[in-house]
Amino acid sequence: MTAPPPTLLLRARELTGRPVVTLDGELIAEIKDVVFERAGGRIAGFTLRNPGLFSRSRKDTVPWNGVHGVGRDALMVTDETVLAPIEELAPRQAARKGDVLDDRVLTDNGRDLGRVVDVVLQSGTGLEVVGYEVEASEALGTAGRRVLIPLPATVAVSGENLIVPAAATEFVAEDLTGFGAAVDAFRARLREG
Amino acid sequence: MDWWVWVILVLVALVVLTTVTAVVQRRRRRGRVIGLGDAGRNDTP
Repeated sequence: MTAPPPTLLLRARELTGRPVVTLDGELIAEIKDVVFERAGGRIAGFTLRNPGLFSRSRKDTVPWNGVHGVGRDALMVTDETVLAPIEELAPRQAARKGDVLDDRVLTDNGRDLGRVVDVVLQSGTGLEVVGYEVEASEALGTAGRRVLIPLPATVAVSGENLIVPAAATEFVAEDLTGFGAAVDAFRARLREG
Repeated sequence: MDWWVWVILVLVALVVLTTVTAVVQRRRRRGRVIGLGDAGRNDTP
């Protein structure tokens, strides 16, 4: 019997700027944006920019099925043939509308929890969105501090607001340690109804 | 105008240009986290 792969939590913005390297060791780009599917929260891929301070955005992307591995220091791809046109992954207009950073998080009973500053990802068999890091509002009793809010498997968006079940406020964490357990407990609560 | 007025104007223009470039570059390099698909979306609340 094989053991399940170890899970690791990381912030999406930690991936921005990470080099994209082929298995031949060639640096081909840097990660620009992280793209995920709202249904299921799985990472769909990454948009790219050329390396360097005044670099330009690229018109190609790395779809998730072209990723060989996400390491601490680089995103590994087999070779440049895995790259796909940006229109296939994140068309310009959809990408502009879909950016969740700076959006407000509301509970489904109408409480404003704060503004999104980052998105928490969990690695395992894939890479999945499991939470938002928000600059908390008064509603959480930790106004101004950054806290982590767990998400259900499907991420709901209404205009510029991100909707979470009200029960999410019971599973708020202040750092990544133990946040994975909070996500599991939150999702189990939702399944129980 | 005196020559030193031109020098000051050029210096001010340079500072403004540098600041704008730095701000734009910082925003571009910040990266985005983009959620795609229609699940749970409701554009007409």
